[in-house]
Amino acid sequence: MVMPMAGAHAESILRVASTTADIPLTTGQASQGGEGMRFVGYSLYDPLIRWDLSRSDVTARLAPGLALSWSPDPETRKTWTFKLRPDVKFHDGSAFDADAVVWNLDKLIKRDAVQYDPAQAAQGSQYVQNIESYRAVDPLTVEITTKTPDSIFPYMMASVLMSSPARFKEVGQDWAKFATQPSGTGPWKMDKLVPRERIEMVRNPDYWDPARVPKTDRLVVYAMPDPNTRVASLLSGQVDWVEAPPPDTLPRLKAAGMNIVTNIYPHIWPYQLSFSPDSPFRDIRIRKAANLAIDREGLSEFLAGTAMPAQGSIDPKHPWFGNPSFKLQYDPEQAKALMKEAGYGPDKPLKVKFAISTAGSGQMQPLPMNEFIQENLKEVGFDVELVVLEWEALRARRRAGSDDPVNKGIHGINNSWGYWEPFIGLMGVAGSTQRPPKGYNWGGYSDPEADKLVEAAFNEFDPEKQDKILAKLHERIVDQAMWIWVVHDLNPRAMSPKVKGFVQAQSWFQDLTPVTVE
Amino acid sequence: MLRYVLRRLLYALPIAFGVSLVCFTLVHLAPGDPIDSIIPEGASEEAIAQIKADYGADQPLPMQYLKWLGRVVTGDLGQSIKSGRPVTQEIAPAIVNSVILASAGIALALIAGCGLGTIAGYARRRAVDSVITGIAITGISIPHYWLGMVLVVVFSVGLNWLPASGMGSPADLSHLILPAIALSAIPTGIIARSVRAAVIEVRKQEFVQTLYAKGLSDVAVFRHVARNVAPTVLAVMGLQFAQMLGGSILVETVFSWPGTGFLMNAAIFSRDLPVLQGTILMLAMLFVVMNLMVDILQMLFDPRVKRH
Amino acid sequence: MSTAVATAPAPTASGFRRPSTGFWQTVGRRLSRDPVTLACAAILLLIVLAALFAPWLGLDDPYKQSMVRRLKPFGYQGHWLGTDELGRDMLSRLVYGGRSSLFTGFVPVVLATLIGGLLGIVAGYLGGRWNMVIMRCIDVFYAFPSVLLAVAISGVLGAGQFNSIVSLTLVFVPAVARIAESVTTRVRNEDFVDAARATGASTTSVLFHHVLSNVLGPILVYASSLISVSIVIASGLSFLGLGVTPPNADWGLMLNTLRQSIYVAPVTAILPGIMIFITSMCFSLMSDGLRSAMDVKA
Repeated sequence: MVMPMAGAHAESILRVASTTADIPLTTGQASQGGEGMRFVGYSLYDPLIRWDLSRSDVTARLAPGLALSWSPDPETRKTWTFKLRPDVKFHDGSAFDADAVVWNLDKLIKRDAVQYDPAQAAQGSQYVQNIESYRAVDPLTVEITTKTPDSIFPYMMASVLMSSPARFKEVGQDWAKFATQPSGTGPWKMDKLVPRERIEMVRNPDYWDPARVPKTDRLVVYAMPDPNTRVASLLSGQVDWVEAPPPDTLPRLKAAGMNIVTNIYPHIWPYQLSFSPDSPFRDIRIRKAANLAIDREGLSEFLAGTAMPAQGSIDPKHPWFGNPSFKLQYDPEQAKALMKEAGYGPDKPLKVKFAISTAGSGQMQPLPMNEFIQENLKEVGFDVELVVLEWEALRARRRAGSDDPVNKGIHGINNSWGYWEPFIGLMGVAGSTQRPPKGYNWGGYSDPEADKLVEAAFNEFDPEKQDKILAKLHERIVDQAMWIWVVHDLNPRAMSPKVKGFVQAQSWFQDLTPVTVE
Repeated sequence: MLRYVLRRLLYALPIAFGVSLVCFTLVHLAPGDPIDSIIPEGASEEAIAQIKADYGADQPLPMQYLKWLGRVVTGDLGQSIKSGRPVTQEIAPAIVNSVILASAGIALALIAGCGLGTIAGYARRRAVDSVITGIAITGISIPHYWLGMVLVVVFSVGLNWLPASGMGSPADLSHLILPAIALSAIPTGIIARSVRAAVIEVRKQEFVQTLYAKGLSDVAVFRHVARNVAPTVLAVMGLQFAQMLGGSILVETVFSWPGTGFLMNAAIFSRDLPVLQGTILMLAMLFVVMNLMVDILQMLFDPRVKRH
Repeated sequence: MSTAVATAPAPTASGFRRPSTGFWQTVGRRLSRDPVTLACAAILLLIVLAALFAPWLGLDDPYKQSMVRRLKPFGYQGHWLGTDELGRDMLSRLVYGGRSSLFTGFVPVVLATLIGGLLGIVAGYLGGRWNMVIMRCIDVFYAFPSVLLAVAISGVLGAGQFNSIVSLTLVFVPAVARIAESVTTRVRNEDFVDAARATGASTTSVLFHHVLSNVLGPILVYASSLISVSIVIASGLSFLGLGVTPPNADWGLMLNTLRQSIYVAPVTAILPGIMIFITSMCFSLMSDGLRSAMDVKA
């Protein structure tokens, strides 16, 4: 039951059209990737450590969330002490405390716990995989011990969301019921859920951060995976804000008076390659050839200013970019030469199979982009077959790893990626011990030099020194052409001129609490 | 009459079984182990073993079919592997939305088809007849999903009079107009032709000539004609409604109308086999039931009609 | 979407007779005098010939992309029908698309006519229990709405032209079989068949001369009416992403990929549908013409 803001006027509503095919999981760890966390996860719930999304001019950094401070012990660096924020309540009124934190970690880790949820564990396993043990020291202090010294552990905890144990008990210890009546500590509370269609959230006036109590009464997020539908819904006034409008429609939207906002964010659109025994990409010449075959400028033109050609995984202005010697440019002649060396060419094409999706968080315009690249690759001697899957199905393939039978015959996976923290961006994909579900090394890339750098990065707790190590790691993987890197997304959003107060952070996540609709 | 109804029911039963068998087999045609598609992600080994036992995956196929059938009959169509919700819960709102769309479509088709067909039937062999027959054939041949796109181009993109997609809020009928028109193209054509043929047939019959001879006005004769044409129209309408319900996937995709077709589309690409199987089964059963009802109603209206 | 409501020709007062060569000549003559049929035949011939001889028509490469020349209007730099969302020449894509769409539409009807026709004729000729068994099995598949069955089979088998053809064939076999069985049963029960048998003619010769020549006509008429439906459904499967895969040119697939550009180049976006419409319409009209020409009661 929501009370309108004082002054009894009509409820102010912000209606958002997202690209997800279904409403993300509402139980805690959201599904549907970054977009799921963006609109549902971080709306209904909070983590111990949150992202500061208040600025658009610098890359988003970590800030205190449900924890006021955190630090590792000086000797082993493995035991982190989190001091929790006092006087925080869940939506159902129960108190947030150290026991709740332990309960939520059990939810993801302890299989025999009654609250263990396979669905949430599937979404969150990689964030907690380095946790050895944990305990509540006192109601406002939690100790978490990692298996190995882990300098980026705080980033992991930023993705672990806290669901209410009390509500779980109330609904008879059933996650399916919890999903229809979720309870977290977040700035929004869920009011209504229509499966496959929309989720309606209302502001939480008792939110622990008064500066971030939502300025709108109601937030409605629609699932609209079809881009035409999204655009049509904005033009007809059915929604106020659409995610990822197709570049083609931007002129029409601008003509109708809509605002298009873009910003760089830690995103890369790649083909993550397989190094399984049957994969032709084990040969570095073939990997380099593929990278040199793509006309990134042409593709960016097609995307009408909503993308930037990639020079690697990281964008060139970022401290982790370094100075790779392998330059990603459009050089089909060089590519053909490399292919010829490897025994292939336009007359003797190399058959490869890529798994792609129809839509998804960060996937941009997968079908036309893949068609474009398919042609590029054809010219230098690749015969590319595309296996088209739905977004969640692709994510599942990615979590399975290239060695899993379900991925048999798939040589690359077109799964957009992020680098908002060092593990997901670099260490988790390049380390040979980081195969799923532990890490993100889908293809099984294995390189002793990279492994050394990954190890060093894990153990370097000084941020500046760590940045240097990460830059070296990035140089190494680019020179080794670990992936095929294509473009960085510039995160276009279209919104009605009535939407005010939005600050587009350089992040996969956004803060909708300061937004108002006139 | 009761014997006829019973006989038709008895006939429909093996068909229904056959349909369920086809649905069951379809899933097992899919590449990969069908059980894998039912196991939720991240399930523990014990859970996996439990699910396999539940579905009798270790038993021979006929046994698996019977177990599955047993569950279906009690209303358990399994769970969506994507959302974890029961399949019935996913299908129910979708069926309602499809019925809404199909009803609007058939209503349009009825009005347009009867109108056109009657005019053509009365105007035999004149230019009007040819024009209307042309329209009818156009309706039958046109790819209705393309017609939907054309309507969007003209009325949404071009004139911005009507929304291009989605269902909107329940009270908002404007979302219904374009998809209903697109869906009604084929039934309009078919109904128009049937009505035309029926009107011609009835008007030729002796009793109509008698009515004219008796001095009844055109309008009165028309009422008689209409009464005689009605059974045919109802039969065709019923069949077309059933076809629209089952075959709406194309139009629903164009307009992102959240009906069964849209659901099937999503299920296919996310390889959500329980939802796909459940939807196909429900739609096919609906089709069988509607065919049965049309047959029985037709017999009720016209006892002279014999079926073997 | 239903398959056309088909009726087999009714027996005349004197019953069926084995159509003499004069019958087919009459049909041919009637057809050649029907302006609608002639016009449709001409249009279809043009489309089919263009599709067949596409590589030799001096068209642009249907696969060549050009980001600079995306979604250009008619006549731009020599592209008579403009370009698609990846800069490929529309005219060329439409012609080459015809190859794919016509093939995927035509082959299932041919296969279904052969298979379904055979099944139906056999069932009709044998009668009795065999008839019941065969026809009940057929009825189970007939109990599915056509589009639903096609989508279901394709959805399960996966995308691809071959799978589409399999799927559509399976959808049409029951329809053809039913017509074939119905006509065969009627013909078989005619006196002249028994009379022929009484004179000692072997089963095969009876089958051939009398039954076949009477049922072939109605079956062909029905099959011809299926072609237009098949082309529309085949394109529909590609439209859904279940048929021909990118980057191949195919009318249904083009409608799918051009849908995104509907706000930028609306006319281009609907062009492939016009081709589907014209082809389907022509086949429909020709099938109608064939039926009228063969209608003994004309």
